[in-house]
Amino acid sequence: MKIVVCIKQVPATGADKRYTDDLRLDRAGVEAIINPLDEYAIEQALRLQDAGTVETVSYLSMGPEQASEALRRALAMGGDDATLISDPALAGADEWTTAKVLASALDKLAPDVALMGMASDDARGSLVPGAVAAMRNVPLLSYGAELTVGGGEARVRRLSATGFDWVAAPLPVVASVTDQVGEPRYASLKGIMAAKRKPLETWSLADVGLSADDLRGGALTTVTDARPPEAKPPTERVENLPAAEAAARIADWLAARKLI
Amino acid sequence: MSNDILFLAEFNGSAARSALELATGAAQLAAKSGGSAVALAYGPGASDGAAALGAQGAARAIVLGDDDRPAIGFAPAAAAAVRDADALALLAPATPNGRDIAAALVGLLDLPAFGPVRAARVADGTIETEQATLQGSVITTSRPADGAPTPSVVLVLANTFTPAEGGSGSASVEQAPGADDSALAKATVAERHEAEAKVVNLEEATVIVAGGRGVGSEEGFGPLRELASALGGAVGASRAAADAGWIPYQLQIGQTGKVVKPSLYLGVGISGAIQHRVGMQTAEHVVAINKDPDAPIGEFADLFVVGDLFQVVPALTDEIKRRKGA
Repeated sequence: MKIVVCIKQVPATGADKRYTDDLRLDRAGVEAIINPLDEYAIEQALRLQDAGTVETVSYLSMGPEQASEALRRALAMGGDDATLISDPALAGADEWTTAKVLASALDKLAPDVALMGMASDDARGSLVPGAVAAMRNVPLLSYGAELTVGGGEARVRRLSATGFDWVAAPLPVVASVTDQVGEPRYASLKGIMAAKRKPLETWSLADVGLSADDLRGGALTTVTDARPPEAKPPTERVENLPAAEAAARIADWLAARKLI
Repeated sequence: MSNDILFLAEFNGSAARSALELATGAAQLAAKSGGSAVALAYGPGASDGAAALGAQGAARAIVLGDDDRPAIGFAPAAAAAVRDADALALLAPATPNGRDIAAALVGLLDLPAFGPVRAARVADGTIETEQATLQGSVITTSRPADGAPTPSVVLVLANTFTPAEGGSGSASVEQAPGADDSALAKATVAERHEAEAKVVNLEEATVIVAGGRGVGSEEGFGPLRELASALGGAVGASRAAADAGWIPYQLQIGQTGKVVKPSLYLGVGISGAIQHRVGMQTAEHVVAINKDPDAPIGEFADLFVVGDLFQVVPALTDEIKRRKGA
């Protein structure tokens, strides 16, 4: 049984982020981390490996060369090997492009489960897992609070409107998991040392059987403008008032906006 | 290419609020593009209820299926319908189910994807969207690349469009063309576990009173429920409160919970971490009550009340009841 965890390197959550003049994310000088929600996918995969259900945990990422740092950090948490797909033709990739490239790479890696985080911290479209499943023509098990594998199938526990469901599908599958799978482990010093000796390959677009033409210019979407959010009026603060007076102030404020 | 605007219309016995919002939005966009709003209706009640989407402006409705399967199972039928329709855009709710079907369409038909967006419009004969990215620090405007296939798939946040009221139109209803064979249809619900209490759908609430770590316990949510009831709203929570087991995960607001866009969000005992903020930052009005004068929520709330929630919340409930009774 083999799991490939797909991870994305993103700017650190609190980092100062901006777009470049050609409307792409400015990655220069911004601290980069593993997309925090992908760490839960890593944790889920490693728990299945710890339990002996899964033999091999591999990592796959698409990004600039520096994204290999994210793969090393994942390997320091555990797992066996990693692959980075890096190619100048991939700059400015959108969700369709990303899905296309990951799907081609996953065809080559042929895991039983391709596992992803439920969303990326920077864009939050959550579309890549489903698009990859559709492109590879394998079932999608999305938004799992837990993933199990066995008996030729995978299952995820997924919140429903009122409770939860176990959704099942025959292997191989693409699955995504939420932050309810359990807190990601820290990389130990031993893990960090071990990660340095684990195999990390870099593939070009051609290595996954794609050409720049297949990617239709690199993206199906284009960003035409990037700007800071509208400035909000300053916060009105109410301090040092007895509860009844504070409550009256809130009620006045709500009434002035026709909210009560 | 036609100028029609498709939208996903989820049914769960009756039409989800997202279906009414997207019908309204699709009709608005179609009026600009010179086409019609066309529903792709799925889920229990879709066949019977789809015609009523005409009240929000849908001209036609294509029924993908009526059964209670995982939403992704409707994707193959949706793909066949989308291929036939040759539309300008497809609006999908930015919910887990909506995203699953939208993602499958992107993968099956090689379509451009946008969102989750807070605005969509027709400009220069194409679709243009507006999205908060990088945790809300940048607002981007996007369009399909030149020569990109249609329709553009657009994930739309809840409450981006307000359902049209008072309409009386009726959509013509047809069955979807036969779906292609697809492995996506192989996911099935193996077990279903219903909670005892019915949980409200926060994405549909227009007033939300949300509690966080400061609420302190399951019982601590009692006063928040009374306030929500007085305001005609629903109770939500931060991840900290859901993780602590004080409230079901269905009520968690934030990056990994619900993304809400109410007209009033009242945050109580919530510090306002970025992961929570991305779930509520598009609320029209934000009021916060917190005893910590330095809580991050104080930096982006419209009204920030520094005080003890256990005193201020009951006092506010009384005050609102008094004014409503007056």
